[in-house]
Amino acid sequence: MTAWVLDRRRFLASGAAALGGAVLLDACGSPSASHSTSPAKRPPIGKESGRLSILEWPGYEAHGTKAQTNGLLAGKHYTDKFGTSGITYTYITNDDQALEKATASGPFDLMHPCHENLPDYVSRGLVQPFDTKLIPSFSQLNPFLAKKGQINGKQYMIPWDWGYGSLTYRTDHVSAADATGWELAWNKKYSGKISLWGGASTNFEIAALKLGFPNMDNLTGSQLNAAKAALLTQKPLNKLYWDNEYTQLQPDLKSGTTWIGYSWQDTLVTLSGENVPVAFLNPSQGRLSWLCGFMLGANTKNYYHCHDYVESFINHAACAQMTNSYYYGTSNATVKPSEIKNQTLVKALKLGDPTAIAASNVHLQSWSPNRKALELAWQEVVAA
Amino acid sequence: MMRRRSGKGALVLPPLLFVVALLGVPVVFIALFSVGLRSNIPGTPVAFSLSNWSNFLTGGGGAFRSRFVYSMEVTLAVSVLTTLAAYPLAYFLSFVARHRRYALLLLLLAPFFTSYLLRVIAWQIILNNNGVANSLLWDLHLRPQGVAVSWLIYSTFSVALVLFYTWIPFVSLPIFVVLENMDHRLQEAAADLGASRMETFWRVTLPLSLPGVIAGFVFVLIPTTGEFITPLLVGGPNNQLFGNSIQAFFSATPDWNYGSVLAIALIVVVVVLTLVFGRFIQTDLRAEARAEQ
Amino acid sequence: MKPVSRIGSAGLTVYFWLFVLFLFAPLVVLLIFSVNSSPTPTLPLSGFSTHWFHEAFSNTVLTNALVRSVFIALVAAVIATALGIMASLGLMALRGRSLSLALTVLLLPLVVPYICLAVGLLILVEVLGSGPSLIAVVLGHCVIVLPFAILVIMPRLRSLDPAMNEAALDLGASSFAALRLITLPLLAPALVSSGIICFVTSFDEFAIASFLAPSGQPTYPVFLYASARTPALLPEVIAVGALIIAGSLLLVVLAEGGRRWAERRLVGLTASPEAVMSAAVSDQQAVPVAMVND
Repeated sequence: MTAWVLDRRRFLASGAAALGGAVLLDACGSPSASHSTSPAKRPPIGKESGRLSILEWPGYEAHGTKAQTNGLLAGKHYTDKFGTSGITYTYITNDDQALEKATASGPFDLMHPCHENLPDYVSRGLVQPFDTKLIPSFSQLNPFLAKKGQINGKQYMIPWDWGYGSLTYRTDHVSAADATGWELAWNKKYSGKISLWGGASTNFEIAALKLGFPNMDNLTGSQLNAAKAALLTQKPLNKLYWDNEYTQLQPDLKSGTTWIGYSWQDTLVTLSGENVPVAFLNPSQGRLSWLCGFMLGANTKNYYHCHDYVESFINHAACAQMTNSYYYGTSNATVKPSEIKNQTLVKALKLGDPTAIAASNVHLQSWSPNRKALELAWQEVVAA
Repeated sequence: MMRRRSGKGALVLPPLLFVVALLGVPVVFIALFSVGLRSNIPGTPVAFSLSNWSNFLTGGGGAFRSRFVYSMEVTLAVSVLTTLAAYPLAYFLSFVARHRRYALLLLLLAPFFTSYLLRVIAWQIILNNNGVANSLLWDLHLRPQGVAVSWLIYSTFSVALVLFYTWIPFVSLPIFVVLENMDHRLQEAAADLGASRMETFWRVTLPLSLPGVIAGFVFVLIPTTGEFITPLLVGGPNNQLFGNSIQAFFSATPDWNYGSVLAIALIVVVVVLTLVFGRFIQTDLRAEARAEQ
Repeated sequence: MKPVSRIGSAGLTVYFWLFVLFLFAPLVVLLIFSVNSSPTPTLPLSGFSTHWFHEAFSNTVLTNALVRSVFIALVAAVIATALGIMASLGLMALRGRSLSLALTVLLLPLVVPYICLAVGLLILVEVLGSGPSLIAVVLGHCVIVLPFAILVIMPRLRSLDPAMNEAALDLGASSFAALRLITLPLLAPALVSSGIICFVTSFDEFAIASFLAPSGQPTYPVFLYASARTPALLPEVIAVGALIIAGSLLLVVLAEGGRRWAERRLVGLTASPEAVMSAAVSDQQAVPVAMVND
C-alpha cells in the first residue's frame, strides 16, 4: 500500500478542490447584522423558555444559583420567581475577551460588559435597547450614569456597578516611599512580586498614565509603541497576568506570593476583612475608573425574563447589599451612603457620588478607536 | 491478482468530500482571513492586504517570530530526546522480551490510551509548588518545609517533561514494528561473519531500523509543533508555545486576521516537515508498493 | 550468538521496567488522591475517603459534561467508522495516482495541527452563520478520527481473502449483501478497534471542543480544563479522572483480549497465517501502518 506520497502536484490538486468549495461557500454565506426582536413578534413572558445564557464576571451570579460563590443578594427576586436552574453563566476574564466571546460564541441573552465597550457591542449588532418601562427601579438610577449607557437616546446599557482600578499592595512589604504612582509596577525592587491583570486595554492605559500621555484611550502610533515598550520592560518583573481575582490575585496577595497587584477596590475590602495589611494605591497620575452594566442580547428569545433579571439586580436592596460586599459604587441613587457600613471607605472612595468616576483626578476607562492595534501590541508583549 | 470490481472506487468520494469540506475549506478560509479578505467584525470593509503577513515575517512581529523559534527549539529537543529514549524500549521488546513482547507492548502503550488532559493534570499535581514532588522532599527533610523547587513547574522543564512523557509510548511503536519485521537472520549472518554484538547493532540493526526511528521522530515532531494545551496547564508566561499565540488571537485578544497569519505559517511549517521527512520513508514504501502492484 | 549480551539484556530490562514505572506513576497519583480526604493533593496523605466521588457525581455541570462527551464520542465513532469502511472499500479499488491522491487527502487531518483545524472550523461556523454548536464538535471530531478509522480498517480489509467475496457474488448475492454478510463480519475486529479508537480520541479531544462547544454546554475536556485551574474543584476532577483512567485501562485490556479472541476464531477465513500476523500487528498500530512495511 502506497501511503503518504505527498507530491507537490497532488497537494495542489486537493488544494484546488478545497478552494473551489470555499469560493462557493463565500458567495453563499455572509454574516449580516442581527435584527432585534420587533415588538410585534415578541412572545409574552409565559411563552418564553426562561433559559437565560448570561455573559458575566465571576462573583456576580444571581442569588441562589449553584454557581454563586460570593453570596450576593442581587437576583433574588428573579430566582425566587423563576427558579435557578434556567440560568447558565459564561465567564468573562477581561473586556477584550468578553467582546470576542459575545461575537463568536453567542448569542447571549444578557451581557455585563463595561461601558467603554458599548459602542463596539452596538456597532456589531450584538445588543438591542432595553425598554426601561419594564424595569421599575430604572427611575431610581442616577441620571449621570444612566446617560452614559445611552447611544442616540436609546438605553443600551443599564448601569449597575462602578468603581476604581489601581494597585493593591502589601503595606508590610512595600515601603510607603515607593507607593507614589503607577510606576510602582515598574519598580525593580519588587521584581517577581507584581501581578498585573490580563486585560489588554487596561494595561495600555496604565502604561499611558505612567508615561504621562494626555489621552490614555486614544494613543497615537508612536505613543502606542512607547506604551508597548514600557510594558515589555515591566513584563520580567511580573509574576503572572492574573485572570481570576478570587483564585489567583487575592490568594496570592494573602499568602505573600504577590505584594503588588492590579485590582478593583473589592480586593482591598476582602483582604482587609481577612486582616491582610493592604492598601489601595492613590497614584499621583490618578486611578482608573470604570462603569459597567447590563446589555440585552439582540436576538434574545427571553425579552421579558431579561428585563426582570436586570430589575432584580438594580433594585434598592440588591444594590445596597452589593455595595456593602464589594464596596463598588452602585447606580441606584436611593442607596444612601449612610446605609453602608464602613464610612471611612465610603468617603475615601466617594461611593455616594457616581460623578466621581468622571472627576478630573481619575481616568474613566473609555472607548478606544484603535482597539485592534492595541490588542496586537498586547499579544506581542505576551509573546515576548 | 487484479480481481477488483470497477466502480467501487466511487465509494471513496463521500469520505473525500467530507474531509475537503471540513478540513480543506476551513484552511482556505484561514488563508482568506490572513490576507484581509474576510473579517470577523460585522460591518468592517474588507480588502486584500499583506500587511499582517509582512508584520509577522519581517516587520514588528518580532515577538511572535521569537516565540516561534522558542517553540521549534522545544519541539525539536523533545522529539530527539523522546526518540532516543524510545529506541531501547522497542529494542527490549523485540530482542529481549521475545515471548511476552506483545503483552509488554500493550503495557507500554496503555497509558497512552488514557486521557491526555488527565495525564497533564496529574503532572500538574505532582510538580506543583505544594504538590507531590515538593511535599515529598519536605517530608523527607531534603528541603526546608514550604520551600518549593522553583523550576519544577511553570518552566520549560515542566513543558518538555510532560510532552516527553505523553509521546514516548507512541514513538516506540514504529521502531518496534520495524525491528519486528526485520529479518533476524541478518544479525545471525553478521555474527557468523565475525561481527561483535556492538558492530552488528551499529552496522546492521540500527541502519535497518532507521525508517522506524524517523517515523517515530515524526510522530512526536508533527503534533508537538502545534501543541498549546500543555503550556496552558504546566507552563509559565515565558514558556508558552506558538500554538498559544494562535489560540490567544482567536479568544483572549481577538484579531482573527493576524491569528490566521500565524495559523497558516504553522500549517506551512508542518507540511514542509512532513514532506521532508516523508521522503525518507517514501523510498522504502514506493519499492514495496511497486512490488505489490 | 544472541543479539543482546546478558548484561545488555539485564540493562534493557531494568530500563524498560523503570520506564513503565515512570509512565504509570502519574496515573497512580491520580488514583491515590481520588480517595484522599484532604482537598489539596499534597503529601502526607490525610486519610481514606470516598466523598469526592459523591461530590463529583452530585455536580450536575460535571455529569452533564460527561454525558455530552460520551454522546458526541459515540456519534463521531459511528460516523467515522462508517466513512472509514466506505473509504477503505473505495481505496481498494483505486490504483496509482488516484489512490495516492485519495489517500493523501484522507490522511491530511493527521498532519494539520489541531489548533489550526479548530480555528478553521470556528471560522467556518461563523461564515455559515450557525456559530458554535455540538453538531460542529461532532463533525470536527469525525474529521480528525477518520484517518485512524481508515488506517485500522484498510489493512484488515486487504488481508481478507478476496475469494470469499467472489464466491458470494458467484453464488448470486448482490454486492451489498456480500458486503453485509461476508466482508463486514470478517472486518468485525477492525471495526471494533476503529470504534474504540475513534471514541477515545473524541472523548478526550480539547482543542476543537474548546472553540466549538457552545457556552454553557461544555464537553468533558473543556470542563476539565476550566476546573483544573480552580483549586476548589480539583478533588472532584481527580475523583472522576481516576475513574476514567481505570476505565480506559480496563478498556485497553478488554479490547486486546477481545481482538485476540476474534483473531483466533477468524484465522481459518483469511488468506494466510502471514496475513493474519500482519493484520494483528497492524491492528495494534493505527497510525504507523501507513509509514512502515506492511
